[in-house]
Amino acid sequence: MAASFAEQLSERRKAALEIYEREPVPTWRRSGFWTTTLRHLRLDELEPRHYEPVATFGDLPATVTEALGDEEPAGLVVQRGATSVYSALDPELAEQGVVLTSLERAVSEHPELVERWYMKRLSADDGKFAAATAAFWSGGAFLHVPKGVRVERPLQVVYLIDEPGTAQYAHTLGVVAENADCRLREYCLAPDFEGQALHAGAFELYVEAGGRARVAHLQDWGSGEVYDVSEKRVEIARDAHATWIPMHLGGHLTKQKLDIITAEKGSDMRHSGLYFTQGHEHLDLFTTDLHEQGHTTGDTVWKGALTGTSRASYEGLIHIVYGAQETHTYLQTHSMLLSPKAKGDAIPSLIVKTDNVSASHGGTVGEIDETQVYYMMTRGIPRAEAVRILVEGYFEPVVQRLEDESLEALVRARIAGKLAEAEEQVVEFTAQRASA
Amino acid sequence: MSLEIQNLHVRTDEREILHGVDLNVAKGEIHALMGPNGSGKSTLANTIMGNPVYEITEGKILLDGDDLTEAEPDERARAGIFMAFQYPASIPGVSVANFLRTAVNAGREEAIKVKEFGALLRENMDLLKIDPEFTKRYLNDGFSGGEKKRAEILQLAMLAPSIAVLDETDSGLDIDALRVVADGVKAMQGPEIGTLIITHYTRILEYITPQFVHIMLDGRIVREGGPELADELEDKGYDFVRDEVAAANGG
Repeated sequence: MAASFAEQLSERRKAALEIYEREPVPTWRRSGFWTTTLRHLRLDELEPRHYEPVATFGDLPATVTEALGDEEPAGLVVQRGATSVYSALDPELAEQGVVLTSLERAVSEHPELVERWYMKRLSADDGKFAAATAAFWSGGAFLHVPKGVRVERPLQVVYLIDEPGTAQYAHTLGVVAENADCRLREYCLAPDFEGQALHAGAFELYVEAGGRARVAHLQDWGSGEVYDVSEKRVEIARDAHATWIPMHLGGHLTKQKLDIITAEKGSDMRHSGLYFTQGHEHLDLFTTDLHEQGHTTGDTVWKGALTGTSRASYEGLIHIVYGAQETHTYLQTHSMLLSPKAKGDAIPSLIVKTDNVSASHGGTVGEIDETQVYYMMTRGIPRAEAVRILVEGYFEPVVQRLEDESLEALVRARIAGKLAEAEEQVVEFTAQRASA
Repeated sequence: MSLEIQNLHVRTDEREILHGVDLNVAKGEIHALMGPNGSGKSTLANTIMGNPVYEITEGKILLDGDDLTEAEPDERARAGIFMAFQYPASIPGVSVANFLRTAVNAGREEAIKVKEFGALLRENMDLLKIDPEFTKRYLNDGFSGGEKKRAEILQLAMLAPSIAVLDETDSGLDIDALRVVADGVKAMQGPEIGTLIITHYTRILEYITPQFVHIMLDGRIVREGGPELADELEDKGYDFVRDEVAAANGG
């Protein structure tokens, strides 16, 4: 059996490679004026980098331990470049049948599980980078929480890019079985460096009937020229629930497609995200809230802030298929411009192919509310601090949805750090607005 | 020691709203500034506080002799001026307690100790009959009119300014809420604070008696007197004052 899936996998890699070689480097255009282009990416100068595994949590690079904190997580898989360098799981969880390891290893150790779910919701034929990931992924991460098992402490996966010139092809596959419950954090991290790198990622998580998953993605590729082109899917089965919170806190160019699918009756999702772009960063997100059956519920809230000359576009689609009656869902997206040269888009859209549903959506692009700044200043709070508090307060409802104290603290600190870097410019911008 | 407003001319959007206002509020004094809607009362309050929407074209604002005419709102606040807003902004994502701590610390060299802050907050919440749960809510976010006014007076109590300007603090309150707010303001009175109560109606003055009453009409202070002036206004209404002014101007 094991050999047969491994063989099948290598056939699939070959097929994906053909697609990769056939497909051009894409340019994404929308509505005529928004373009995401990879023309500055020197793809042929990048290559997978391999590293020596490390023996203990403490030996991991500082970029990782700084984000994760001092305490070793209940379960952790770390991929550095192309190599899975560290993998650990609390023995008690292992005893309960929880699996958290590299996907590479899972292919040989749990082939029947991997085979059942591998790329169920992902396609290799979805452009050059989806093909690249399917063809070239190494390391990767695999999570399986068996039926009825509840894991309180967050299980964690890290993708680290250490140096320019790296091409990282990543693949995370997670399965939360019937009535199981867990938290998963996935980090994409890089230290500040000069030069280009690529992360082409695939993420797929399946929550089986009655299960519950709370997933957070934290992306902070630092100030290097890191391109992130990724596809992510979360599928929720009957009476299951998923909370999914992607956070984009750094990346030279990010193009991601994120789908959350309520696939069976009674499935429920909460999808919240945030982004903070700075400098010349370019972020292009497309999320789909896909309801494949009726009696499903959704709640999507995204918030972003932009500084510098950054560009951020968030497009959120609610898609309710034919026959999915009694679906109740809602999507809102907000974008806050903190610089006169930043450009942001917040586009909600709707495809509803059935009747008897409630689906509402809204999108805003705005600036800091000067009446709020004035109010705070009349309490003695200087403008810079007022703006910081307002931006933090703006993100706070999304941050609190994490329901994860240490991660909340990390996110707050990173947002505060980014604001501090942009402080002079932001204060000047809002002050001009005040007297305008 | 006082707030001195000298010959203040203020405009917004190319229209002059205040046409030369003089007003002194010293510590230990309670003043009432009364006038009908649109007379310029809120403009005066916001100009005292430094709202950038209003442009001062002539005149000065001094606090204890220091010229604050050009100062930013936060500098004025730290110098000791406070305004309770008629329509306070809501600050989603920031709890009442966190906001108060930030505001208290903004006026101090060293951050207030957690214990000390807690004690001060409890004391003032008791005074204003505020439920402790209230401080966990986002400031003014989804607050009722009465809750907003209470939150304003709670801030006044926590910041202990030397000059307090209360802009229509009595408007939109039912009689019970008005009594709580008025009692709170009254409890804060003393030799270390000067208070300017801005109001359309006389009802808050039934709880707090001002020593000085000023009546504003069309951007000017047209009559000044003691507490009896408020009573006269209660009896005769603003039209009486308007007619009187017109007559005095030979109209």
